Amino acid sequence: MSEVAQTVPLLEHLFRRQSGRMVAHLARLLGPAHLELAEEAVQETMLRALQVWPSQGTPENPAAWLFRVAHNIAIDVVRRDQTLREKTDAIVLELTNSASMPPSDPGIEEQLRDDELRMIFLCCHPDIPRDSSVALSLKTVGGFSVREIARAFLADDVAIAQRLVRTKRQIRETSLTLDAPGAAEMERRMDAVLDVIYFIFNEGYTAHEGDDLIRLDLCREALRLARLIAASSLVQPRVHALVALMALQSARTEARVDSAGNLILLEEQDRSRWDQQLISLGFHHFDRSMSGYDVSQYHVEAAIAATHARASATGSIDWKSILQLYDQLLALHPSPVVALNRAVAVAKVDGPQAALQAIEPLEADPKLRHYYLLLAIRGHLLLELGRRTEAAAYFRSALECRCSEPERRFLRRKLAEARGTHCPLPRV
Amino acid sequence: MAQFLLMLYDNPADWMKLSPEEMQKALEKYMAWGKGPYYKQGIRLAADAGKVLRGKSRATDGPYSETKEVLGGFYAIEAASYEEAVAIAGTHPHLEYGGAIEVRKSWGA
Repeated sequence: MSEVAQTVPLLEHLFRRQSGRMVAHLARLLGPAHLELAEEAVQETMLRALQVWPSQGTPENPAAWLFRVAHNIAIDVVRRDQTLREKTDAIVLELTNSASMPPSDPGIEEQLRDDELRMIFLCCHPDIPRDSSVALSLKTVGGFSVREIARAFLADDVAIAQRLVRTKRQIRETSLTLDAPGAAEMERRMDAVLDVIYFIFNEGYTAHEGDDLIRLDLCREALRLARLIAASSLVQPRVHALVALMALQSARTEARVDSAGNLILLEEQDRSRWDQQLISLGFHHFDRSMSGYDVSQYHVEAAIAATHARASATGSIDWKSILQLYDQLLALHPSPVVALNRAVAVAKVDGPQAALQAIEPLEADPKLRHYYLLLAIRGHLLLELGRRTEAAAYFRSALECRCSEPERRFLRRKLAEARGTHCPLPRV
Repeated sequence: MAQFLLMLYDNPADWMKLSPEEMQKALEKYMAWGKGPYYKQGIRLAADAGKVLRGKSRATDGPYSETKEVLGGFYAIEAASYEEAVAIAGTHPHLEYGGAIEVRKSWGA
């Protein structure tokens, strides 16, 4: 009876994708105060699939199956729940109507996209602390589990779970809605959303310790969210700039490490390993970000990434333009990390001595004293000046800071170089 | 070849902690297991407590509502020996996800 279970392979990330959309959709029907019920219904839906599909085969349209079952389970969940009281019947009716829409209806696709967008704006509401927005976005829109979020942020499962509970309580108690922000409010709301998306991307992109796969997922999710907004009517030039920036940076992910897992600096990367599809996606959005007068932090950062991507070879990088862009970025968004990156451009244009002077003020910042990158860059500049003993001391201090295994190997290599015991790595 | 019954027990609450990605991975593993040459039949039980009949009295609700682990379903498989049946059951992903499998042999061959 069940020997002919269908063998159609499921789309990669189908459950993750669909769970985000279903939660967003159900949360609109149930009201954002009952986000938890929506999540519960979706989780039960996937469990149902796990119970039924192995013996009955995968349905012809798995997404439509999940969608329909999620509605039915949500109806049960709503009936079971005591807190909805007199609202129960109205919500059940809404769910019943929504469930009866044929899955092939093109309106559904549009509705689901809209639900997802509203959910992103709710999760990233400026009244919600950023860390909470990040966790809630990944959980509800991204379809990540508490454990996956904890792994990505090197946090404790319990801490993440509590953060999510607190955030949902805040949504309930302050009656935050899924309504699309009005024109007057849009600027502030959009900035909060982009800030959260870029934070997620950076967490994934910055290679400190932690699970590589989950970090790659963070980058993909950030890019997906930004593209979703870029494709909607809410788009602003800065959204395109952010998509461009993340796509151009993601294009280099593969080339950042060699086959032995060693870190390769941007300048030494094999450009043929850059992902051309992401580069063209990046330039496409970069061009579109130029409409209007908006010049955001993302515009400038995208311009820097584009300058790197445009260079045909390492020797042809236009460092002068890059330095100018960093000056502009520093004016828009003063931060020690930007200043540090700018120093690298200074070294290229005006030499290591000038770069050392540029980073000197940063060393007074107690937060940066144990930042491995500051120590590593300082060591690198000293090495270029031939001041080997001092350079070695900086690489040693950098090795004592929090950094990933590939970064550690890189620092050890630089330390050996400073000590004069350097044996060059074979080129791959 | 003898027939064996594999009974799969689990705690449904455990599944509520998995991420969608992990659920999909689990589903794919369960489906792949059912493609083995040993597979004869599989039945997934509904998630209710069931009914129990004992003597002439009326059927009562199942005994499982108080326990965390429930019988979720079973498979009939073919294997040459108990040893082989246990080895086959040992490859089932159910065990990876914290479930238990009871292996029983049918009378005959």
